[in-house]
Amino acid sequence: MRRVSKFLSPLFVCALAVLSAQAQGPRNVRVDFKETTLKNGLRVITVEDHSAPVIAVSITYNVGSRNERQGRTGFAHLFEHMMFKGSENVGSGEHFMLVFNNGGNMNGTTNEDRTNYFEILPANQLDLGLFLEADRMKSLAITKDNLDNQRNAVQEERRLGVDNEAYGKSEELQQELLYDNFAYKHTTIGSMEDLNAASVEDVAAFFKMYYAPNNAVLVLVGDFNPATALAKIRNNFESIPSQPTPPTVDMTEPEQKAERRANVDDVLARAPRVDLAFKAVPGNTADFYALQVLSTVLQGGQSSRLYQKLVKEKEMVTTVGGRMDEKRGVGALYSSATLRQGVKTEDVEAAIYAELDRLKKEPIADWELQKAKNTTRRNLINGLQSALTRAITLGQYTVYYNEPGLINVRLDKVAAVTKEDVQRVANKYLVDTNRTVVVTMPKAKSATGASGQ
Amino acid sequence: MRIMKNKRNFAVALILITLVSSLAFGQGPAGQGGQTTKGAVIKGKAPVNKEVLKVKLPRAEEATLKNGLQVVVLPMHKVPTFNMQLVVLSGGLADKADYRGLSNFTAALLREGTTKRSSKDIAEQVDAIGATLTATSGLSSLTSVVTTSGLVENLDQTLDLFADVIRNPTFPQAEVDKYKTRTLAQLQFQRSIPQFLAAEQFQRAIYGTGHPASLVAPPSDSIKKLTSKDLAAFHSTYYRPNNAILAVVGDVTLKDILPKLEKVFGDWQKGDVPAATIPQAPAQSDSRIYLIDRPGSVQTVLQLGTLGIERTSPDYFAVLLADRVFGGGPSGRLFLNLREDKGYTYGAYSNFGGSKFRGTWVASSEVRTDVTEGAMKEFMYELNRMRNEPVPAEELDNAKRAIIGSFALSLEQPGTLLQNIITQKLYNLPADYWDTYPQKVSAITAADVQKAAQKYLDMSHLQVVAVGDASKAREVLTKYGKVELYDADGKPVTPGSESN
Repeated sequence: MRRVSKFLSPLFVCALAVLSAQAQGPRNVRVDFKETTLKNGLRVITVEDHSAPVIAVSITYNVGSRNERQGRTGFAHLFEHMMFKGSENVGSGEHFMLVFNNGGNMNGTTNEDRTNYFEILPANQLDLGLFLEADRMKSLAITKDNLDNQRNAVQEERRLGVDNEAYGKSEELQQELLYDNFAYKHTTIGSMEDLNAASVEDVAAFFKMYYAPNNAVLVLVGDFNPATALAKIRNNFESIPSQPTPPTVDMTEPEQKAERRANVDDVLARAPRVDLAFKAVPGNTADFYALQVLSTVLQGGQSSRLYQKLVKEKEMVTTVGGRMDEKRGVGALYSSATLRQGVKTEDVEAAIYAELDRLKKEPIADWELQKAKNTTRRNLINGLQSALTRAITLGQYTVYYNEPGLINVRLDKVAAVTKEDVQRVANKYLVDTNRTVVVTMPKAKSATGASGQ
Repeated sequence: MRIMKNKRNFAVALILITLVSSLAFGQGPAGQGGQTTKGAVIKGKAPVNKEVLKVKLPRAEEATLKNGLQVVVLPMHKVPTFNMQLVVLSGGLADKADYRGLSNFTAALLREGTTKRSSKDIAEQVDAIGATLTATSGLSSLTSVVTTSGLVENLDQTLDLFADVIRNPTFPQAEVDKYKTRTLAQLQFQRSIPQFLAAEQFQRAIYGTGHPASLVAPPSDSIKKLTSKDLAAFHSTYYRPNNAILAVVGDVTLKDILPKLEKVFGDWQKGDVPAATIPQAPAQSDSRIYLIDRPGSVQTVLQLGTLGIERTSPDYFAVLLADRVFGGGPSGRLFLNLREDKGYTYGAYSNFGGSKFRGTWVASSEVRTDVTEGAMKEFMYELNRMRNEPVPAEELDNAKRAIIGSFALSLEQPGTLLQNIITQKLYNLPADYWDTYPQKVSAITAADVQKAAQKYLDMSHLQVVAVGDASKAREVLTKYGKVELYDADGKPVTPGSESN
């Protein structure tokens, strides 16, 4: 388990440098960032980049649905919505109106491990971006009306993504089945019941405990003068008082001893689906990168083993895919296949397991290793193009791993993965006893309107 | 809320200007006391820079190969990647009425086999170099687009694959058959998505049955009869250098890439390409209400709209601003009203689109079943407000600032810049179209916006589509007129035959 420590300021200097590698070799991109910690514990990371007249601000708070207690699932995300309902000097909704009305873009997102807020604006709106973030960190307006309003919006978000969507409940069930530790054993969107139970007192306590400067990382990327910008950051944020360090969350996940399995009847689904998960390791570990490579070989793109075997050769499924999930705690390798008519779910499972066995028994091909490395390289490099994705990524790496510099060395970690590593992690994690399986079957439609909801 | 368009950028000269019509938003006396729009409270204390950054858009480098292939290159050197599109100037609009989906299938099958490579070879070679290669064509689109992206260090290999699938596809019958069965199965899957069901009915409501835009997915009877020969014929007729634009953005220059393009496309033969006939949208039918019963639904998906404009319409800028005010994002009236004020939904938006035929202008939201009535009422209220009242000066000014200000952000988005160039060429817009875009936006008045709303958000022709639990939504919708009931397979349900 990792926690963000509040001090530590390695100093680097400015500008996104594009360094040509000596001689041949592909060109690499380096993000040079400068790190400072304010007196109240707010970590500040800046990247000066004058290539476009924009500034991107991100604030990542070290809180996510992992911090929720029983009976309050979904609360971290509901709270995130409250952050747009106003503060001392900013009216309800004014935050996003000001950003959009000045040509910018913004959002807030919550996952198990962190909550982030970000905006990208034309460069002459730096003062606006900083003011908006500081004002709500300082003085969030917490009212019953705002809470009820956003509770409704969030419950609609849940209906949209879970209750009114085919397979939505299967995904939720898989999460609950996969984990033993409550931190990850529930979804970030939470249950309707728990969302209903959230009170303004909960909001106030959560705000005080987690939305303190010493529990956050501010990242500023873009077209600004570094001396002036840092002064502006101090001016906006340094007077916000720090709070006691929030309690740590026990992320220990006991070893899984036997396969877990559930069946779901889904009235909204039209085709059977098989969802698999294999519990694995936290992100940014050697085994994590090896599993990422494995996942690309197994299920990334049309050349992948599952696509070629299940979609093209056997014609058993219409789609197949998945990912190695990156988490601060124990993440999992996921695979999901939607079946063709007349195909049995057990046959699809068997076909997938046969491919997993191949990964255990034989080393992957040279081209497959190249594929995984090149694909990762393209994705990571493309992620450095925009000021906003750099701001978000730096904040995330800092809160997840206390390692903003991962942005510059992540490619090396993937490049270090060998064929033997892939075979080793296949044998270690892709075993039957470590498997969680959810099988969804379309439920025959009962008479119209009598679905019992 | 949604976000995320990103990519990289361009070095720019920038000048600060003040928008002629710019009011002090949020500062000074105008913002004092805090005015309130529905769903938001404006305190006016945040420091807003009143000047809108004016940016200079990057110039593309252009050339034409001897065979007529137009080449457009937008160099952006920040990161060592590129994105390339071959835009074939024929798409779904070139399909015959009983062969809808042919252009779509032709594009999809390009990478399923060439004279040099099997489908599997292509998949492996593309993925091994970390590239992407896709091709699409819509059922009513003007174009077919083949897109590749990758690392510049692999540019030569990527170009070789790109040119191979464009020039030498063989459309093996076995692959065509596999793709057909896969597509038919996917059509079934799509029927589980309520937004798909709503769009399907909405397009039918606007375009009737004969127009290609009346379809959102290829019809299964047309899929079933398509053969390798049909695809090859479409390809051989339309995939010709004199009927295409090749657009590249990224870590390349015209000078460097031109010889490479000559090498892989130089001997591609011209062809006589038949001119497309543009089917005009049918006259709008009277307002109708469609309800699609989707058992098990806990939300009603609502789509309300009308026939909009062509891309080249003189009303384009008035509609652009009207749409922004109405429902263009979280600062639009629909979001502020239905979500921020009422809490009915996670989001409510409007959007419009136009091609060489008139597109649609549609408002949509997903609301929990028991507020279907409230949501309908607010949609009607906002539609009527757009028609009956001029947009207040400050709200209009905000919409203008939003559009013009976002040009600064586009300098980081190569995809957006490239798309703008293609749009300008596709619709024969003036060469300075994007440079003068801010002025055209600025020139629109509240009267223009209201006139556009009155003209296009025509309530007597409004089409309403709802997807949800019919047993609960039907009575609500009946208040707005006669409700036509369909099942989730798109088939009409005769009154009285449905169980309840």
